[in-house]
Amino acid sequence: MSRTLLFEIGLEELPASFVDGALAAMPKLAEDLLARERLGHGAIRALGTPRRLTLVVEALAEAQTDLAEVVTGPPKAAAFEADGTPKKAAIGFAKKLGLEVDQLFVEETDKGPYVAGKREEKGKPAAEVLPGLLEELTRKIPFPKSMRWGDGEHAFGRPVHWIVCLFGADVVPLSLLGASSGRETRGHRFLAPDTFALDGADGYVDALRGVHVLVDPEERAHVMRERLEAAAAEAGGRMVDDAFLIRENATLVEEPHVICGHFDEAFLALPDEVTIEVMRGHQRYFALRTADGKLLPRYLAVTNTDRAPEIITKGNDRVLKARLADGRFFVDEDLDRTLEAMVPGLDQVVFQAKLGTLGERVKRLAAVVTELGDEGPAAEAARLCKADLVSLIIGEFPELQGMMGRWYALKQGVDPEVADAIQDHYLPRGASDDVPSSVASARLAVADRADALVGCFGIGLVPSGSADPFALRRATIGVLRIALEGPIDVDVRRTLAAAHAAYRAQDKPVKDEAEVLSALDEFFRGRLRAFLTDRHPTDLVDACLGAWDGGSLRDLKARLDALEAFRALPAYEALAVAFKRAYNIAKDVKETEVDGALLQEDAEKALAERWAAVEPKVREATAGGDYRSALTLVAEELREPIDRFFDEVFVMVEDESIRNNRLRLLASIAHTLTSIAHFHLLGGQG
Amino acid sequence: MTFQELILALSRFWAERGCLVVQPYNSEVGAGTFNPNTFLRAIGPEPWNVSYVEPSRRPTDGRYGDNPNRLQQFHQFQVILKPAPLDIQQLYLDSLTAIGTDPDQHDIRFIEDDWESPTLGAWGLGWQVWLDGLEISQFTYFQQVGGIDCKPISGELTYGLERIAMYLQDVDDVYDLEYAPGVRYGELFRRSEWEWSTYNFEKAEVPLHFQLFDEYEAQCRKLVGVSEKKGKGGKLVWEIEDPKARLVLPAYDCVIKCSHYFNVLDARGAISVTERQRFIGRVRHLARAVSEAYLAQREALGFPLLQGGAS
Repeated sequence: MSRTLLFEIGLEELPASFVDGALAAMPKLAEDLLARERLGHGAIRALGTPRRLTLVVEALAEAQTDLAEVVTGPPKAAAFEADGTPKKAAIGFAKKLGLEVDQLFVEETDKGPYVAGKREEKGKPAAEVLPGLLEELTRKIPFPKSMRWGDGEHAFGRPVHWIVCLFGADVVPLSLLGASSGRETRGHRFLAPDTFALDGADGYVDALRGVHVLVDPEERAHVMRERLEAAAAEAGGRMVDDAFLIRENATLVEEPHVICGHFDEAFLALPDEVTIEVMRGHQRYFALRTADGKLLPRYLAVTNTDRAPEIITKGNDRVLKARLADGRFFVDEDLDRTLEAMVPGLDQVVFQAKLGTLGERVKRLAAVVTELGDEGPAAEAARLCKADLVSLIIGEFPELQGMMGRWYALKQGVDPEVADAIQDHYLPRGASDDVPSSVASARLAVADRADALVGCFGIGLVPSGSADPFALRRATIGVLRIALEGPIDVDVRRTLAAAHAAYRAQDKPVKDEAEVLSALDEFFRGRLRAFLTDRHPTDLVDACLGAWDGGSLRDLKARLDALEAFRALPAYEALAVAFKRAYNIAKDVKETEVDGALLQEDAEKALAERWAAVEPKVREATAGGDYRSALTLVAEELREPIDRFFDEVFVMVEDESIRNNRLRLLASIAHTLTSIAHFHLLGGQG
Repeated sequence: MTFQELILALSRFWAERGCLVVQPYNSEVGAGTFNPNTFLRAIGPEPWNVSYVEPSRRPTDGRYGDNPNRLQQFHQFQVILKPAPLDIQQLYLDSLTAIGTDPDQHDIRFIEDDWESPTLGAWGLGWQVWLDGLEISQFTYFQQVGGIDCKPISGELTYGLERIAMYLQDVDDVYDLEYAPGVRYGELFRRSEWEWSTYNFEKAEVPLHFQLFDEYEAQCRKLVGVSEKKGKGGKLVWEIEDPKARLVLPAYDCVIKCSHYFNVLDARGAISVTERQRFIGRVRHLARAVSEAYLAQREALGFPLLQGGAS
């Protein structure tokens, strides 16, 4: 026997991110609590809108399963005297299980005889367990911020107004956050404002659809998208897709409707990005483009009602007109001077109190890109790359930084390569962003991040916990991605040293180079490890980071790729075991010159001979960064002789000179291999 | 509906729902929240329901009377309901009907907008209310004021009167608003916008304002009896022990003055980015002292409004 459970919390309009977070967390919370409470169940779903968070559990058992388990207690000797008289331990254990001492029994275990007892508990009806369970679940729903309301007794994402709790057709009575449960829910705030009673937990989604609430977020998003696309087609364009707007709008309404508004064509003289950002950032409108990519003087807005679309469209048109007029005012004012003329303004903007102004910062960036081999474009872009930060449009729309810099630069006739670098040096902004595609952009992007890293570490502003105001963690990953996916490799140590020199040239109070670079080396390794272990096995990453010198990032990646390929070889397992043995025996041995005269057994002679032939080639490949060839050579040439060596030769013999000679042979192999990767950190093929 | 009819309609609506109708504060404030009828009354357990118009000064928003949407002084209609009743959203929607806007014929949205005043050490959670995409009100549940946790919670409704009136009268330029029959908003305020913009951006004497800030800061400390230095764990150190001996209200006026002089200095471009935080911190310190003193004083007086006074 089972029934559907419906639990709906009705509240005042939650922010979109709160709804998303709560709905993502609720199924897992429910699953864990139901498992703990031994309540069997079918599918669990979280549904919701800004005004309600709902949990639906299908086929929830009528009662908890009975508990019958054997619990092992103290050793027999600790629990009973030899004559069978119970000691304290036995009495305490029985009490804990709710049993009499004579109900305990003895169980033979691997560790000897132990006292045990049976714990039995009859399952309670679900209706009895649910109030406490749902209260706990509600308390655990995560919100970025919670608030209090009214008399200030309760805290939640927003004030709670009603609770529906139905188990099948029956109300489960409970009191929560100032509301008592019942079967009364509410429809859409404006289109169906009355409360109404639900017959039962089944049919909830359909019942709400009838009162203008699409409670299933997927259905709501789907319907919204269909209506958007239909409206776009009707307007003769296609909407500029935007994952943020789709998610945000779908989570801000209970029933999505779409209007199509207009704005004056004269505003199309603005950069498209400004127009789109004005619509998107302030109003959450979708822009429309024609089939050949031209922006249309129209937009789509998602509304929460289908009444009076003309009035609503007119209102939205008015708002957008004022917003676009603001945007045009800012751009016109900005165009009164060149981007070049904005550069001196950077001397008035503080980057960081101890590190000086943005004006000083861009001078450092130019010095660093030059040091990294730039012959002009990156240094020119460096000088201009932050100038748009003092423009009026960026004051209003900070997210357009870089893009407006490029636009203003092109207006004043700056070389397009330089203009692109002004925009692209901010890339990648996040994990899903592209990296800069040109050499100049990539150099400047790396210099920009190196400057922030060295400056902050130089004055002890090191990220801790969730505090990372200068986004230094993201900066390190950005540098790595630029080196791996972009047009240039990055030598981390050299770049950071150049950035440090630039600070020193300006007499900034940064700590000594050695101290800053060593702290940053550790920081980089930590971040790289976190990033790379998401993509490669942890032991591989550790083995490569161990051997990496903290310089070239492509070198680090080459080691990883080579090692990954090596691990896939059939010879891997045996070689790995052999390398580990060699390393463990010989890691502290410094000398590596093998004395041929001291070699005794065939197996060691064979290994020494083969190694002498292979080693120069391995070293040459390693020095050239061709780790794949180095490891292939090793796999092909050493597999057989090293296995044989360990099978037939006993290293730690009495005779010191023979023993040391063998150790030197192993040390030579171990040291050479360890310079490629720390094989001793590797696990199995997995 | 003229501008003044809008004010009258909102006043009547909220008076009928138990709000005191009080007058704007007679000192320079940046928002209705600064009025002691909001800031101080939100502190402590006493109930309080009030509404008033607040002419609010934002020196940096001045545009010399040239911009159709921006003013250095605009009007807020402010409502405080303490404790916030559970039907406060519905009351708000009913008030829109009272000013001739049927919520059922528009797209009304409650969009997340948390409020924080670093100078007042106050924050709250709530929304901006959108009417067909236009932000017409701020709606905030105060969580903390002057660094003190609110209990009960006040609900604050702030109507942007110029915006709403422009919408109702269907005009694109604030100066074209009809304030009263035959009287335009521009006739009343365009010159004043030009004069105050000129003053705030060009003429306000910087050394004088720095000096005024310092002196009102010192005066505030003296009136409320709080030391410049903080004690263990950042606690305030009181030089006047008896809560009833402290002049809380005059001290609070000094906080308002400091905040205003700071805003003028900001408009004059006299405060650098780094100094900015320091000045805000100084005002916050005063606001916190006055808030704690107010709470202690009301407690010493036996929280008079708990005895069923107020409204």
